[in-house]
Amino acid sequence: MSELRYVGKGVAREDGIDKVAGTARYTHDLVVPGMLHAALVKSPHASARIVRVATEAAEALPGVRAILTGDSLCYRLGLYMQDKCILAREVVRYQGEAVVAVAADSLDIAREACSQIEVEYEPLDAVLDPRDAMAEGAHLVHPDLADYEHMKGVFFPKEHTNIAHHQKIRKGDFDAAFGHADVQLTASFYNPPVQHVPMETHATIAQVLPGGRAEIWTSSQSPYTVRHLMSDAFDMPHANIRVHVPYVGGGFGGKAGLGLEPLAYVLSRAAGGRPVKVVATREEEFNTLPSRQGLHSTIEIGCTTAGKIEALKSTYVWDAGAYADYGVNIGRAAAYAGAGPYAIDNCWIDSFVVYTNKVFGTAYRGFGHLEVLWGVERAVDMMARKLDMDPVKLRRTNLLKEGDTTITGEPFTSGHGSPVGCLEAAAEAIDWEAPSEAPAEPNKVRGKGIAVLHKAPAMPTYTSCAAVIKLDEDGAADILVSGVDYGQGTYTVLRQIAAEELKIPIERAHVTWECDTAFSPYDWQTVASRFAYMGGNAVIEAAADCLRQIRDVAGKALDADPADIVCENGEVFARERPDKRIPYSRLSLGYTFPNGNSIGGPVIGRGRFIATGLTHLDPETGQGLPAQYWTYGAHAVEVEIDTETGEIEILKIVTAIDAGKILNPKLVVGQVVGGVVQGLGSALSEGFLFDESGRFLNPSLADYKIPTAKDLPRETEQIFLENPQPGGPYGARGVAEHPMISVPSAVGNALYDALGIEFSTLPLSYERILLRILEEKVEKGSPS
Amino acid sequence: MRGNFEYVHTRSIGEATRHLADAEGHAAILAGGTDLLVNVRNGLTTPALLVDIKGIEALGRLEVSENDRTAVIGASVPLNRIAEDAAIRRLFPALSEAALSIATYQLRNRATLVGNLCNASPASDSLPPLLVLGAQIYVHGEEGERVIPLRAFCTDVKQTCLRADEIVTEVRIPQLQDGARTGFIKQQRIRGHDLAVVNVAGAFLPGDKMLKIAIGSCGPTPVLLEPIDLGSHSPETLAEEAVRSAKAAVSPISDVRASATYRSAVLPVLIRRLIARLLDAKGGA
Amino acid sequence: MHTVSFRVNSEPQTVSVPAATTLLELLRDRLHLTGTKEGCGVGECGACTVLLDGAPVTACLVLAVEADGHDVRTIEGEATGGELSALQQAFIDAGAIQCGFCTPGMIMSARALLTRSPNPSDEEIIEAIAGNLCRCTGYEAVVAAIRNASRQLTREAPALLADDEQTKAEKASGEP
Repeated sequence: MSELRYVGKGVAREDGIDKVAGTARYTHDLVVPGMLHAALVKSPHASARIVRVATEAAEALPGVRAILTGDSLCYRLGLYMQDKCILAREVVRYQGEAVVAVAADSLDIAREACSQIEVEYEPLDAVLDPRDAMAEGAHLVHPDLADYEHMKGVFFPKEHTNIAHHQKIRKGDFDAAFGHADVQLTASFYNPPVQHVPMETHATIAQVLPGGRAEIWTSSQSPYTVRHLMSDAFDMPHANIRVHVPYVGGGFGGKAGLGLEPLAYVLSRAAGGRPVKVVATREEEFNTLPSRQGLHSTIEIGCTTAGKIEALKSTYVWDAGAYADYGVNIGRAAAYAGAGPYAIDNCWIDSFVVYTNKVFGTAYRGFGHLEVLWGVERAVDMMARKLDMDPVKLRRTNLLKEGDTTITGEPFTSGHGSPVGCLEAAAEAIDWEAPSEAPAEPNKVRGKGIAVLHKAPAMPTYTSCAAVIKLDEDGAADILVSGVDYGQGTYTVLRQIAAEELKIPIERAHVTWECDTAFSPYDWQTVASRFAYMGGNAVIEAAADCLRQIRDVAGKALDADPADIVCENGEVFARERPDKRIPYSRLSLGYTFPNGNSIGGPVIGRGRFIATGLTHLDPETGQGLPAQYWTYGAHAVEVEIDTETGEIEILKIVTAIDAGKILNPKLVVGQVVGGVVQGLGSALSEGFLFDESGRFLNPSLADYKIPTAKDLPRETEQIFLENPQPGGPYGARGVAEHPMISVPSAVGNALYDALGIEFSTLPLSYERILLRILEEKVEKGSPS
Repeated sequence: MRGNFEYVHTRSIGEATRHLADAEGHAAILAGGTDLLVNVRNGLTTPALLVDIKGIEALGRLEVSENDRTAVIGASVPLNRIAEDAAIRRLFPALSEAALSIATYQLRNRATLVGNLCNASPASDSLPPLLVLGAQIYVHGEEGERVIPLRAFCTDVKQTCLRADEIVTEVRIPQLQDGARTGFIKQQRIRGHDLAVVNVAGAFLPGDKMLKIAIGSCGPTPVLLEPIDLGSHSPETLAEEAVRSAKAAVSPISDVRASATYRSAVLPVLIRRLIARLLDAKGGA
Repeated sequence: MHTVSFRVNSEPQTVSVPAATTLLELLRDRLHLTGTKEGCGVGECGACTVLLDGAPVTACLVLAVEADGHDVRTIEGEATGGELSALQQAFIDAGAIQCGFCTPGMIMSARALLTRSPNPSDEEIIEAIAGNLCRCTGYEAVVAAIRNASRQLTREAPALLADDEQTKAEKASGEP
């Protein structure tokens, strides 16, 4: 393969200019003439009947244009499970749930109106722990679960229960293998719910237009899904709904699917068609908008004394919160990925997605894998202890290799990349063989830990993506896609690919920034680490289509066979006559002969990609092919603990990922550092707190602590393996979510090395660490 | 923003106290605004009038006398000025360390020491150092001036003894004896900006043969322990006496930030570390 | 209503606002300078950082009326004559931008840092931006960008870090 000019290089973002200049416009910044502003009345109760809503005082305020309650909005919405209303109807299911919405001339008036609305509630039983919610006789969050539309054949809600979905993996015979195993381990783990904390909160502007149309501007990862679900819910043809996505200030999965769009739409409708802007406050972002589901897991592992895992059983009980639309797919993905990247002949997994009366969960970077691998990678380490074996060796023994099959029966090939390679690279970079140096201070200890990760895109079997490239008058290329670049940099990668394939200078390739369903071609959703892969392939195809059109016309212009036309640096020439060149600019709108005759026409290339070969999972065994491609990796970390305060510092964290092909080294390092730091947030300080009544206690940045610049590890290192992915653009795989996955696992494992204490609950806060240290001292009879 | 408040920019203390008196409890003083405006935004307080005192020249003074080892900190002096003042850092490190630990650089450009004091949060970082420094609060009201010893200033969670018409004009740190060493230590949940889970200020006063310790975030108001007599203790037993005295004097609770157990566990550690720092011959002030 | 006369990015502005208006609302909603962002409304995230008389502050906790007679700089004033500043370019070159929502606030904090401390250590840089939350980058590239900008500026164009002639004159005369 000849030297690549742009792919694989650290090309800078084009959008950087607008972002540093302050000219990048996010939905927060947009103004539509006549726009109203919205505010919400939220439920103070986790579970209650809405008895009465008194809006008279609010209606009388000058400037109030619409007030809506759930009883006028009989829609149920959802991508996989339609269980959610736009505003609470009849009952509220979580503290923080939106009950009343007001649209007014200004935000201040809307908020004032909300403060004058009185809602009378009759508190009902609430169920807060998903394990309680699974018990016989538990309060039902959705008594009408049986009536909800859902994606049949893929999700299986259990009527008259709180179980929104149950995914099973049944490979081999766990009971027999575990029973016969030399060494057995059972352990339980917990991840609390957390939030994405995008710096731009959710924001949407919607306007109902005459003729049954709507126009929406929204901070979203999925304009087409917004359009589709709105079309479905409001019974409007897709073409009548236009969705714009401008710059997006972070998503991380929280802005996938439907967010505030239906609410903004019905408010506009109620306000006579005036545009309505709904912007979540930071508190609403935490308390009203979705989170990452909590997870209780129990892992059982049976192993030979030589360290071969013969049997693994996981029971995952997901705390979906009050609505499980995205949660059911996370429960599914967590099952098929739920044993980690290991070759296990006997694997049973039960993944239950369970309703509770708390704020609901949605996709969040890693899509269940960080949560699941907290349990699995901790359990594997604990098994290493039982075997008196090096945790790296135990992993090496069991990681998937060519010839193995995954727990869903997928054969592992060299095209999957190298989990073992990632493990070894991370171990070497942390100097695994050498124990941590003892710190100078007597109250400090150090330790090292390692954990592996894996993920495939969790997406429907029909997920697709399209790209259009149109050439400008001057031969530059405009690339149109509907994947969203909300910071991950995929547009830059697509530019690079387009320039490479079109053989034009990179300065002449541009991705049209705003997505608009009116003219940007379809993309399913920008989630799942799939956009660079699928969008990249679509752009390659679109570029080839452009060149085919160019060669066709050039062949006639140069009196040569199109197959003999060479494209180079934005020009064409016939192979035998390189002296006679025509620039793309004289072909991009067709070609005109000297006598005036014109041929060809505007060059527009099309490309597309659809997921290939994916199957549904067997409802009983979970066998099937859910994964377009897997990406594997590992983190190794060294920590230092102050044993008197519990303070933990990350001395070094190494991340090794088999990326297939680095499309842009600068961007991918940014993805990894960002994901690692976000993972450290989950590891060390983040978690929702609730009181006994289900009230959310820390919906603010003052008490929900995310990493600041002062919380950086002393050192981070990124290692990329490049074992090509068949079918990937230039052999690349998705790497967007992976840097966050297994970060908490590696830290938890390092804590064992440092302290000899097994941690099973996140976050590994200073308090949790210190209190366990003190407990252990008491148990051992040492003075505390 | 929400709230139908009015605003007045005042140029003298008398003007400010007059507005406060006229408003009969419905006015609030606006200095940095970093607590007040958050509370107004969240609907926790609904003042009808904000009285901006930043235009009152007298309230902007920060005067440190290196000879006398005293300081005067006006009501509108922002925390960054205190944190970065070379003389404060030299003479009263407990105060500069505490100031630097509060919030973020941006907030410290606005938030004032006196504002932090008047907010009277149990987790206030300014109160413990001011307690061990024996600070005195100068207050002006319609009825004139009074001086309140800091120990009497905070009465309960977010409550002070100020009357509605009164304004703290300055905090004065009385003469700190020669050879004194002061310091501040704070336990947070992360390395980044955070409220205190526990904080401790200490003043080692060899001239008076005394060690003063003040503890925050372990009760409704920060607590100044009874001074510990240096004469009766060796460096080793000094810390243990401070720990014993602290345990008897404070009653930490569990809240969203930390459990009582954690606070109780960390408090002695902070006390020991602070005392060790203060006694360290090479380190300290 | 209160009349607020102040300078925004060296341009005089006079507006009439209710007392209950934040500087952030004034900048974004009245003056349409939407480069300054709102991330939390309570001073915790730094996305609304602007320079008030050269000092970085969170505009969500400054009242518009408090800006009367003062000098405000926002991200829109960082580039001059359509040319990005060295600091802005350094952010682009270092890969210090992902979603970009925290970027204006970061640059304002960095601008103020480089003015008061042209050769900051990494610790100083971190202290200066610790009040600017970022969820995307993990901060390393932001620190690198500021470090690179400071090295470039002190090496090549120390004058760029100094006040321009107009600001010098104003400081000397004591007027905003």
